[in-house]
Amino acid sequence: MSNPLSAFLRDYLTVGIFASLAFVLVGLLLFISWLVRPDRRQAQKYIAYESGVDPVGDMWSQSQVRYYIFALLFVMFDVEAVFIFPWATQLEVFGFFGLIEMTIFIVILLLGLVYAWRKGVLRWV
Amino acid sequence: MTALLAQLAPGNFRAPTLDFHALAPEIVLLVTLVVLVLLDSIKLERARASMPAVTNIGLLAALIPLVTLAADGGTRVMFGGSYVVDPMSLVLKALFIVSAYVVVLLSTNYVAEGDYWESEYYVLLVSSVLGMVVMASSRDLIGIFVALELLSIPAYMLAAWRKGDVRSNEAGLKYYLMGVFASAILLYGMSLVFGVGGSTRLVDIGLRLEEIGTEGVPVVTLALVFVLIGFAFKVSAVPFHVWAPDTYEGAPTPVTAFLAVASKAAGFVALIQIVYFCFIVRPDIIQPIFFVLAVLSMTVGNLIALRQTNVVRMLAYSGIAQAGFMLAPFVVAGELPVQSRQAVVIYLVIYAAMNLGAFAVVIAIARKTGSGEIESFGGLFQYMPGMAVALTLFLASLIGIPPLGGWYAKFSVFKVLVEAQTGLGWATAIVMAVNTAIAAYYYLRVARAMWFDDAPDGDTTPVKVPAGLTAAVTLALVATLVFGVLPGLLSDLTSFQPLALGG
Repeated sequence: MSNPLSAFLRDYLTVGIFASLAFVLVGLLLFISWLVRPDRRQAQKYIAYESGVDPVGDMWSQSQVRYYIFALLFVMFDVEAVFIFPWATQLEVFGFFGLIEMTIFIVILLLGLVYAWRKGVLRWV
Repeated sequence: MTALLAQLAPGNFRAPTLDFHALAPEIVLLVTLVVLVLLDSIKLERARASMPAVTNIGLLAALIPLVTLAADGGTRVMFGGSYVVDPMSLVLKALFIVSAYVVVLLSTNYVAEGDYWESEYYVLLVSSVLGMVVMASSRDLIGIFVALELLSIPAYMLAAWRKGDVRSNEAGLKYYLMGVFASAILLYGMSLVFGVGGSTRLVDIGLRLEEIGTEGVPVVTLALVFVLIGFAFKVSAVPFHVWAPDTYEGAPTPVTAFLAVASKAAGFVALIQIVYFCFIVRPDIIQPIFFVLAVLSMTVGNLIALRQTNVVRMLAYSGIAQAGFMLAPFVVAGELPVQSRQAVVIYLVIYAAMNLGAFAVVIAIARKTGSGEIESFGGLFQYMPGMAVALTLFLASLIGIPPLGGWYAKFSVFKVLVEAQTGLGWATAIVMAVNTAIAAYYYLRVARAMWFDDAPDGDTTPVKVPAGLTAAVTLALVATLVFGVLPGLLSDLTSFQPLALGG
């Protein structure tokens, strides 16, 4: 019990127990519903469900490649937010040092936006 | 852990004191990066011509603080021991920056003459170098991981730089997928190491591992194995090497040189940090792993290299074998920590010189032949005697023939393996000796084609080699010769204090 390593491994045991419980529970529920539900097969029941509308077209639909640039720009500012929010809640604690650090960080990230803008990425052709 | 939490509690934050002199190389590289991006953003296409020059000036400027720091001597510890600037890290930083300088020399004409994006190429190159330089000083799991990602992510893109070529796309994709996979394994291993050690600082983890002793061997072993596997991918050690030949062949050749030398060296630097500052207390776990990795890498790399007909692929497999030689000193890390670390660093420096030189000549010759097939090197001595002699010397150095640099690199590895007087050390030394003999065959095959065969198409007009390439070949040749003739120079430079731990 006192050994920290076995305690460390025991934490993983908890994860293992919960994982196997999850599988058992899902299996049990599926089994019970299979026991009690009526079984009437109809052709319509085998169509893919698409929000109640009849499914149309191929399932491999293509999306516009241009969206990936917006995804990239989004990631850029998402990461920025991940660092700015914790800093903002502790603004006084980090003081002047934190301000300088954050300014450097934001300026370097903004360079990416300037680059994207100058390369014409933001224009929707 | 409690110390970490106390540090994060409000009111307990104290701004770290920054040693700007110690951080100067990183700051110079960062400024270079910003200048390159601004230049590209403001002048757009008109910036293309000036990019390589600005990159080179930035790299050379980053060398200046390295020299002044080396003159100052001593160890500078920052951020509670997470970032240490000691003589070893200075030597390694210089290695990365000089390698990058040579790679820029190799790239200038290649990138300008092909139909490539040029400005971004140098931006990515510099950011990768910045990651390597940070890696050389990181003594903390988080620092090492951030540095690893910073140096890898630009390299994934650079590998796919010949956008129109399917092979280059394949190279980039394979490198990316394998690299991300390795990062995931590494990160999982690091989380286990943190769970066992209770700290992200390597020194603290080492102390904790020592304290634990032989308790909890399974979880410690698991943690160490995962971390080592993550870096084994990076240094392309067998059995984690499968990405290397395809990536090296498909990537633009200057990028291949960069991956084979600087990126591989960065992987080894991470291994040095982790093994010598942290895992060294458990030689019983790490030494057998390194024995298997080293022996497999040498043998498999060499045996497959025998059958290659493309010189870049051959150099890729030879690089795997050379990685095996560099992994060998780790086998006796527990017995001779100082000497074995020195042997790895010496090998890294000399390997960088001779391998960059070999790639430089291959790039120069490919300007004429347009291919990397070994047959296309036929008759090279008749029309480009200078390049033929240079490549022969680089290949002889890779074999380890005195008085070239490669000889001293191999000698120092042998020396430390034998001096350790352990069974594993002897066994590794024997496998290494056999492999050195095997390697001679395929290196000399290229030399034979250059000296004795005729040009396959009968065309013996000499190629116009740009000044940058000639400079790169000369630089690498001088380094290879000097390190071979005056080995004392390098061994003085790399004789680090036994416990430059820091913190």
